[in-house]
Amino acid sequence: MNLRKVIFLLLLIAGSISMSAQTRILKGVVTDEGTKETIIGASIAVKESTSGTITDIDGNFELDVKSGDILVISYIGYATQELTVFQQNNITIALKQESVLLNQVVVVGYGSQRKVDITGATVSVKGEELAKQPVMTATQALQGKVAGVQIISSGRPGSSPDVRVRGTGTALAGTTALFVVDGVLTDDISNINTADIVTMDVLKDASSTSIYGARGANGVVIITTKKGASGVTKMNYNNFIGVRNAARLVEMANAEEYSNYASAATGQTVFVGDYNTDWYDLILRNAWTHNHNFSLSGGSDRSTHFLGFGFLEDEGIVLNNKFDRLNVRTNLDFKISSKVNVGINGSYTRSDDRDVNLGAAYNNAYRAAPTIPGVIGGRYGNTSEYQNVGNPVLDLNNNDNKAVRDRLQSSGYLEIKPYKGLSFRSMVGTDILNINERRYGYQFFNDEITFLKAGGNQRSERSSLNQKHENSFRWVWDNIVTYETAFGKHNVKMLAGTTAEAFSLQWASANRQDVPADKDLWYITTGNANTSTNDGGGDKWARNSYLSRVNYGYNDKYLLTATVRADGSSRISKDNRWGFFPSFGLGWMISNEPFMKNISFVESLKLRTSWGRVGNDRVPSDAFTVTVTPNLAYPFGGGVATPGSAVTQIKDPDLKWETTEEFDLGLEYSLLKGKLYGELGFYNKKSRDLLINVKVPAVAGDEDGVVLTNAASIKNTGFEMSVNWRTRINQNMTYKVGANVTINRNRVIGLNGGQPILDGGIGAGQIYSTRTDNGNPIGSFYVYQVLGVFQNAEEINAYTSSSGAVIQASASPGDFKYMDVNDDGRIDDKDRVFVGSYQPKAYFGINGEVSYKAFDLSVDIYGNVGNHVYNGKKALRLSGLDNIEKTLAYDRWTPGLNIQDEPSANSGFLPASTYFVESGDFIRLNNVTLSYTLPKSMISKIKIENAKIFVTGQNLITLQKFTGFTPELPDSSPTKSGIELNAYPTTRTFAGGVNISF
Amino acid sequence: MKHYSKLYLFLIGVFFLGTRCSSDFLDVPVQGAATAATDPALAEKLVTGVYNSLISGDAFGKGDTHGIAFIASTNIMSDDADKGSTDSDQKGTVGELDDFLHGPSNIFVGSIWSGHYNAIAQCNQALKALETAKVDSITKKRWIGEVRFLRGYYYFNLVRYFGGVPAVLRVPESAADANSDDKFQTRASVDEIYNIIFDDMTFAINNTPLRNATQKGRINKGLAQSMLAKVYMYRKDWQKVLDLTTEVMTSNQYDLLPQYEKIWRFEGNNSIESVFEIQTGTFNNTDYGVRGYCVWQGPRVGGKGGWRDLGFGFCTPSSDLVNAYAAEDNRRKSTVIEIDNSGTYIGTILFDGYRIPSKDSIQNLYYNYKAYHSELMTIEPFLGNRDNKQKNIHILRYADVLLMYAEAANELGNASMAIEQVNRLRLRAGLTELSSGLSGQALREAIWNERRFELAMEHDRFFDIVRQGRAEQIMKAHGKNFVAGKHELLPIPALQIELSGNRLKQNQGY
Repeated sequence: MNLRKVIFLLLLIAGSISMSAQTRILKGVVTDEGTKETIIGASIAVKESTSGTITDIDGNFELDVKSGDILVISYIGYATQELTVFQQNNITIALKQESVLLNQVVVVGYGSQRKVDITGATVSVKGEELAKQPVMTATQALQGKVAGVQIISSGRPGSSPDVRVRGTGTALAGTTALFVVDGVLTDDISNINTADIVTMDVLKDASSTSIYGARGANGVVIITTKKGASGVTKMNYNNFIGVRNAARLVEMANAEEYSNYASAATGQTVFVGDYNTDWYDLILRNAWTHNHNFSLSGGSDRSTHFLGFGFLEDEGIVLNNKFDRLNVRTNLDFKISSKVNVGINGSYTRSDDRDVNLGAAYNNAYRAAPTIPGVIGGRYGNTSEYQNVGNPVLDLNNNDNKAVRDRLQSSGYLEIKPYKGLSFRSMVGTDILNINERRYGYQFFNDEITFLKAGGNQRSERSSLNQKHENSFRWVWDNIVTYETAFGKHNVKMLAGTTAEAFSLQWASANRQDVPADKDLWYITTGNANTSTNDGGGDKWARNSYLSRVNYGYNDKYLLTATVRADGSSRISKDNRWGFFPSFGLGWMISNEPFMKNISFVESLKLRTSWGRVGNDRVPSDAFTVTVTPNLAYPFGGGVATPGSAVTQIKDPDLKWETTEEFDLGLEYSLLKGKLYGELGFYNKKSRDLLINVKVPAVAGDEDGVVLTNAASIKNTGFEMSVNWRTRINQNMTYKVGANVTINRNRVIGLNGGQPILDGGIGAGQIYSTRTDNGNPIGSFYVYQVLGVFQNAEEINAYTSSSGAVIQASASPGDFKYMDVNDDGRIDDKDRVFVGSYQPKAYFGINGEVSYKAFDLSVDIYGNVGNHVYNGKKALRLSGLDNIEKTLAYDRWTPGLNIQDEPSANSGFLPASTYFVESGDFIRLNNVTLSYTLPKSMISKIKIENAKIFVTGQNLITLQKFTGFTPELPDSSPTKSGIELNAYPTTRTFAGGVNISF
Repeated sequence: MKHYSKLYLFLIGVFFLGTRCSSDFLDVPVQGAATAATDPALAEKLVTGVYNSLISGDAFGKGDTHGIAFIASTNIMSDDADKGSTDSDQKGTVGELDDFLHGPSNIFVGSIWSGHYNAIAQCNQALKALETAKVDSITKKRWIGEVRFLRGYYYFNLVRYFGGVPAVLRVPESAADANSDDKFQTRASVDEIYNIIFDDMTFAINNTPLRNATQKGRINKGLAQSMLAKVYMYRKDWQKVLDLTTEVMTSNQYDLLPQYEKIWRFEGNNSIESVFEIQTGTFNNTDYGVRGYCVWQGPRVGGKGGWRDLGFGFCTPSSDLVNAYAAEDNRRKSTVIEIDNSGTYIGTILFDGYRIPSKDSIQNLYYNYKAYHSELMTIEPFLGNRDNKQKNIHILRYADVLLMYAEAANELGNASMAIEQVNRLRLRAGLTELSSGLSGQALREAIWNERRFELAMEHDRFFDIVRQGRAEQIMKAHGKNFVAGKHELLPIPALQIELSGNRLKQNQGY
């Protein structure tokens, strides 16, 4: 194509309007029918053509038309209008606000639907509602917003919160919901910039998620990113700059209180000394965080574009911790003809995570004696010389760990609409992730160069460098045909499609010791080659699926949805490879019945029910294939060992996915002209064939003595409710208030030969603290019951079993008295009792918003009740010289005071008991945001369309019963969640920023 | 535009056919893990893997053949050693075994059972792979001999620990197979187990080369003969003991090392005196040895602070043992690290010049010198991994062969032959010769006594006193709550009984 042709083509596109015959200019203005205010950015298109425009900041537009053209005028939140052009040159178009609820279009799997037509439980949350919170991931911003969705987040920079949709229905196969970003399926959305999100749609029940078949059991979160709109180019810049700090600290004993307790615990005199160190003060800090987003969007009648750029820097509140993230997004859509569209969405993210070994530092800060100094003149106080606890500041400074992640997530589609109602869409998505990790451990000795006093166990005699590189590639290819038609009172929408997906991953790591401390020398080659070690591995899997959905509506009153998906997965053994996941949903628009006509306070009322089957296929790729374990070497004659292998694992060759069947019943209502609206829902979710380890006798030769198989069943039953009220008081003031609550009951209903899972090991002799077993919630705490404290020797001798045996003969006054549940005269593992779990009985959110003139104030509250947490850090007491919490310094048992709830000063190693189980109830003021929109008169002169400044506070106040840092304790494993051992402290954030569009 | 519609339909058709993938799209092999089908050299690697089971020591998890559970149920249970460490540390595991309070739920007992059966399963896997392996018949027989020796050795340990145990001689097809076959789920008699051991070790004797004709550390003829002699000693088949030990002694492959203390030094590895020695070295550029063997037994600071820990301080020589040595017996100072308790704070200087401080900075009074591997990398190889120190473990030494020979000779009525061999050990230890007039019970007891000092802390004592029928007498004198007819054997692990559907029967008294 030569240059002249290109220019001609460009002219043709640019001039397509003027080239139409007999055209003239139509001027007009678009207003709100109710308020008479003009509407900015409304779209005016000429039907059956490619010409169109949007209104300017005064609501005006100009468009070339000819008589007989039909204009289509639309704007978000308003009913779309069509009108025919006659001879007029000026026109005023009044758009009617439409009920959000009635015409809201929401994203469902592989398509979109009007909210009213949906027979399943889904919730849509707008991106702007998420973006206003100064949190790191969009899922965290979802907390408290959606009934049935529990978000458990951590303050650790760069971390992703746990998302539990309608309880936990698996023990060993991963609990996190499936995410779908512009059609690409993923488990991790930490790369997504919240500012780029238009909506997050949460699919909760099996009838909505079964279109995702074997991946739907944990719920599905669909993320749609922003697209451009034809018309003038819009630019937006927004940011926030803020400071974070620990939301709550546990106050530890000071030097004097400590020495008093430690002396009593050890029987030796512990001196107060000259120092009074607050270790948390030394390892925590106020941390800066700032986030900047710039976007550009627009387009012509032939193409639209959205370009987004984001940068986030988040210093962790723990010393040396830091997280940076850079995002670039390009979403492009092209209209090739009236029947063919293509588009491409691309997102590149680079994050740089300077991680810290919080486990050691956090535990050591809790235990280290306040009588030892932290750091003086660059030399560390020697806690390990004194009490075999590392200096927490040195724990954080003695290593430098960093992970750089590059992720390119993209998708391209081709959409063909050959006939009216028929559409075909082919989408190819890819997800490439590269992770480069570098871990450096400094060399230091327990000498007087490093420490104020030499000695002890905290030392690292050789420096070490570990570099690990991992890359993975995932592709997915969807082909979907949709046909939509209406005849008479019947509305039918049919969808059929196929999808194929494959994943591959490889990693390699290298280590050397004796690498110099200079950062510029942190490469493997500078280390001692005689210390080289390396490792590597990989993974691959593939999936292939067929899916289909039929939506049928009769007279807008009766709705039916049926879906089916057949999934094939390479991770499932050949005989069980294909799974079949059907669902059915029924809806009844009660408000459209004639008998409801006269009930004017009801705007809309829908009853829906559904049943569906979904699966969870997060099974390791090697779970059903017998493989040998390599690297079992033997050094014949000493020196370098000869490599060897062994078969160490028995596998279940018939392994299959976990299956969940769910029944859902819901009522959606909108009353008083849409002022009061919400949903009520009930669900009953039974998960079976859950992965669990079944013990095999040692003679079978399985190294860990267990075989992973499908045996367990879990049931989640729940009730959800949301109520929202919004109204306009007058021209200047509107307000909105909403609340949602979820009640969930989780039970393991069958292990079927599987072993109860004992988990939640703490250390200090507490090998486990939870047990997942029949009849109890998953991961229930399973400990001794404390009955009180022995006050004297008589009480010890009087505490006998029915056969007269002294139960705790070796106890001393001041020790806990534990319940001898089985009455065998001794306290052992058979005396443990279930005392609740981390699963809340209910959780809730309350959201309010008030707008007054240019001011907006929003408040979000979140809380949960009925859950328990395990105070693991307190349980990990290893010596009488470990520090204690301040309250313990005063409340401990001493002779004669008849204290029943705290033991005497002790040297730790207490068994797991109810003493460490605390209530996890909390209610938190999650977010308060106040914003002010600058007056148009002030900003329009400088070509700014809209400008807003805001201040926001995240996690401002928490009321909790738990004495630790936070009862909100994420853990990827559902069998040991809710244990505070080395949790990242919850952060509080104060931030401010601007949001400017031009 | 009509003609385009056909094109669109064609395109749609192509895309659908495209994703209706070929049938093998979902056959994705496991990545990075070999299966029998993918690695032709697997049989040899599986043989080496069986040797690797000798260094397993995960007493809290996968199982233990020569780690802390082994240390506890051999040395610590005997009168030679105490639990050591602090009072509370491992009270419920090691402490129970030391005090004869252990029951069927003791996790270390469970890990001995599973460690041995894991190893036996690895033997059976290797034997199965060797059936079809493409190697020459001599090599194949040698490998089978090596593996069968090790299987026999593990059964010899099991029969001494537990009595009759399930006789597992094949690979189960599946978990269900293992659960249903009686052989897997019920105990064979003691005699049946000994017959398996005789068969396996005899095969090894006939199919493995002499020690000097094979790689160091590999199973060889002399080792198989020596171990089989020991097995026969436990069966009191004295003629067989005498024949086998005589063959070993006349094979010109073995002798005593002149200096007793060198046996446990790096320079004494695979020495002329070594018969069965668990090998250690390096792998992937790190120390490679029995997990935790040194660190469990290393001198401990405990709550005292100040100095740095070499270990957890378990398996401390008992004062009973320390005081029983004759004053001039130089084996005491090679067996026991004695902590300075003089109040002069001189400390204890070890062979490598490493100084251990005095009692005020350290938890226990005695530590096991035979488990000490130098802290100084320049003296003995040590790459810094304290958990896996390169410390060879001496399971059977030539000195033991001589003592077996002596005992058999005495039992067969030839006292002078017996005394001659015992005296070789006594002279090396700096002691006087035995009176030449000794015979019968007196000589028997002298030999038993010699065994105690010569093989102290070498995992022999407890089995030995049970064999001699003196366990009750000795352990009671040592102040332990030993119940005759019960404590000679460990209990069958409760979990294994449960998993067998109670088909495995418990030992007497538990």
